[in-house]
Amino acid sequence: MISMVVVDDHPVVIAGVRAWCALADPPIQVVAWGADVSVAWLAPGAEADVVVLDLQLDVCGPAYGDLKRLVDAGRQVIVYSMRADKETVLNCLDIGAFTYLTKTEGEDHLVAAITAAASDMPYTPPALSGAFGTDDRLHRPRLSPRETEVLLEWFHSESKEMVARRLHLTVHRVSSCLERVRVKYANVGRAAPTKAALVARALQDGLITTDEL
Amino acid sequence: MPAASQADVDGRRPPMGAVEQSLIREGLRYALALRLIVVALSSTASLLLTEAPRQGTTVAIVVGLNGWNLCYRRGMLRGLPRRWVPADVAVMCALCLTQLWTVRSDPRGGGTWVLVAMAITLVTYAWQLPGPALAAATAPIIAAHYLGTMIADPGGWLVNETVEVWTAAEVALSWALYRFVRRSARAADRIVERGKEMRHAAAVAAARRADEREYLAALHDTASATLLMIGNGVVRQREPWLGEQARRDLREIGRSDAAQRGELDLIELLREVSRPITAGGHSPLRVSWRTPDSLALPAIDAVSLSRAAREALTNVVRHAGVDHAEIRVRRDAAAVTVEVVDEGSGFDPARVAPGRYGVTRSLRERMARRGGTAHIVSSPGLGTTVTLSCPLPVPDVAGDERLIGASFQRGLRRAVVVVTLAILLFLDLPHLLAGQEAYTHVGVQYAAWAGLLVATLVAAVAAWRDRPLGTARWWLLALVLACSVVATVTVRPEYRLGPTHWSEGDAGWPIVLIMLDSRVAVFAAVLAAQYLLTFAQAAAEGQAALSIAGVVNATWLVLAFQLAIAMIAAVLRGLAASSARVLRAAEQVRTAEEVARQLHRDRERRYADLAATTVPLLEGLADGRLDPGAASVRLECAAEAARMRRLLAQDTTAPDPLAQELRACIELAERNGVSVSFAEYGARPELPPPVRRRLTEPAIAAFATARGKARLTVAGTGDAVTVSVIATCSAPPELPDGDGVHRSTMLDGDRWWIQAVFSPVSGPVKGGGEAVGWRETA
Repeated sequence: MISMVVVDDHPVVIAGVRAWCALADPPIQVVAWGADVSVAWLAPGAEADVVVLDLQLDVCGPAYGDLKRLVDAGRQVIVYSMRADKETVLNCLDIGAFTYLTKTEGEDHLVAAITAAASDMPYTPPALSGAFGTDDRLHRPRLSPRETEVLLEWFHSESKEMVARRLHLTVHRVSSCLERVRVKYANVGRAAPTKAALVARALQDGLITTDEL
Repeated sequence: MPAASQADVDGRRPPMGAVEQSLIREGLRYALALRLIVVALSSTASLLLTEAPRQGTTVAIVVGLNGWNLCYRRGMLRGLPRRWVPADVAVMCALCLTQLWTVRSDPRGGGTWVLVAMAITLVTYAWQLPGPALAAATAPIIAAHYLGTMIADPGGWLVNETVEVWTAAEVALSWALYRFVRRSARAADRIVERGKEMRHAAAVAAARRADEREYLAALHDTASATLLMIGNGVVRQREPWLGEQARRDLREIGRSDAAQRGELDLIELLREVSRPITAGGHSPLRVSWRTPDSLALPAIDAVSLSRAAREALTNVVRHAGVDHAEIRVRRDAAAVTVEVVDEGSGFDPARVAPGRYGVTRSLRERMARRGGTAHIVSSPGLGTTVTLSCPLPVPDVAGDERLIGASFQRGLRRAVVVVTLAILLFLDLPHLLAGQEAYTHVGVQYAAWAGLLVATLVAAVAAWRDRPLGTARWWLLALVLACSVVATVTVRPEYRLGPTHWSEGDAGWPIVLIMLDSRVAVFAAVLAAQYLLTFAQAAAEGQAALSIAGVVNATWLVLAFQLAIAMIAAVLRGLAASSARVLRAAEQVRTAEEVARQLHRDRERRYADLAATTVPLLEGLADGRLDPGAASVRLECAAEAARMRRLLAQDTTAPDPLAQELRACIELAERNGVSVSFAEYGARPELPPPVRRRLTEPAIAAFATARGKARLTVAGTGDAVTVSVIATCSAPPELPDGDGVHRSTMLDGDRWWIQAVFSPVSGPVKGGGEAVGWRETA
């Protein structure tokens, strides 16, 4: 069974995450939850497969430091935030978050993202896809026009089927395209164990070649 | 205040800047002191060194005059020029008319103490009176002096028209110098004012943005999240903690004065964050407080410190094994320090593995973000002390100070250039031309004069270009001293120190110009060296044109003026620093008031936006009237969460017409019960109205017939903009492409997916023209 820990200072959010996890198939066990990141470091949260981390925005700014330490300890962190601006999203990915979910996407994507994180499979929800597709920073990875197209259509749409129909592709190709982009992002910027694992796994599975990176 | 009344006398520019005001005040103070000292020294020296025709009367007059000068100084500083100046003119006229008792006709006298007193009085009038009043005061005194000499020494040596003309010229030069400095004060005022306005606007805008961010972040994490999760249906029934959260959310929304002036009370915040820990269920912690009653800090510093303190307290509960901790807060000029002290088990900081997550690192990082520090002192068995400190902001006045100082310096340098050139050309050159018989080598005299002129011109060019002299200063100084020496050597001994010995004293003027930005001591030393050099040369030959008293009086006349300029320069430098401080303090007060006003208005506006819909919903959840499990409540919460998110996403500082038009569409849809999820990414070019209309049309059409949930997204990539709608609605009407906007639709089950893409270089354009995009229709 997948185990996870929720770091969020909002009781209703925690209640929501626990409710979704209880209904998930296969079920996900929420082993610890709390308002402070220490729940992810102390037993039983220290052993959880996945950390769902609210960025806890306050006047001190996003908790990038907490994210960094968790990532450096090899934890799979799903950043789950009310915030949806591109800079924050891409920053978290650069630090080495497994994925970034806005709270509005939680109902549709949180359980799937936790499952993917537990098995080290890339997961790119629509908001993250939009951030990738409109990334204009200098050190962004090089994407093919097709990849950018898929990213943006996935951002606009509600399902990969819709993207596939619209672009005359198979759903499998849409998914692998998104995964390839995610791996390319894992290959740039700050080094982190989780990012390296994602790249290694993708190379192993033949999802991407070293030339493409 | 003298400054105010001085402004009245001047009375032409009512709104006077702070720098100019302080210049007038300081200028007056300095001018009065100079007059007092020069007259006192000169009159006493003459009294001791020479004998007056009526010694007794003269003593009385000298004492009376110096007493009057004291009274006059006090009266002027109190700001009563209308009463004191006419009286002073009368006193000076009387002094000049009574020369038959006080001075003796002596060709070797060089000048009389009455002449010195008159000259310094008139020269300093230039700093006290506006132009017309100065002229009105100067004319009778000079006339009285001329008349006085005629009475005292009819047709004799004392009667000398050139002395009166030169005195008038000196007054004019002094007045010109003062105007120059005044003008630079005004310039400094203008520059500082502009800088102040810019800083002021920036500070207000920054405070508003910071407050907005803080408020939005708080709302995001509280009310908006609550409503979103209820809308998602995760709370099935009424729960006590939900009511509690809703009440907290309401407090957060209504927080209208918590961050007034961008400040928070640190002590209150500390108590707030420690409450859950001290009241914690299984292991309550007692906290003793050694803090002031309240301590207002910039909000961000207060929050940083209180969060860090919370972390430290949590650590005490977890690891220290004690039920008591102490919090100490103190503030000094530079920083605020919070200490969290326990007498628990402690630990050995050296044995915490560097890679391991530790409270130490977290605290250090948190405080470093605010430019502060976190120190942890602990050892096993001896407890732990966590010291958090945050620096207090220090106002930066250096920039203004430099600005004002530079402006003054420029004005003064240029004024001295004018004075020096005037003296060389209109005083020394005539003496030189008229006194050929006094020199052993006339050619050398001309060369020395030319040398001084060259030195002056070099300094003048530097002054006009606003360049410092740098090392060239010392070469120029050497040139001037050399000229002074050779000019003295080639004067016949019996003419030395007399009027034809033009370089005596006047060689000091280029030195004043060259040394203007040095410290007063250096300046005075160099100037004195020049005079002593000349006197030593004269003394070595034994003979001189003047008696000792005559030398003292003649030297005083010029030297006092020259030293005065050194003091003006010093006063102006000090003035620049104090003016900058005064200005900055006033500005901070004004900015703080403005920020408070703006923040209050912003918060009221935001509250008004939420008051009608969000607040009643949260109130219903708080008091249990609304059942979060009911479908209608969920729907309402979902819609409200979406509305709030949009409201919060609005950037009030940058108008974005496309986003505004789309938001209007969404609000319309929500009124019809459609829940719209909205997301946008990427930078967008500025779009002309026809393009915006074509981009928003699909959304308007779809929302008109939509049911249930809909998705609206906007993406900007380079120059292209895509607006995409997915909704369960009737078939979208056929709309022709145009203005660079291309539309495409797709049906997936009962969901229509409609996209409008604007790309400026492609796509058919209405009217069959070339595909040049919006340029044509802009």
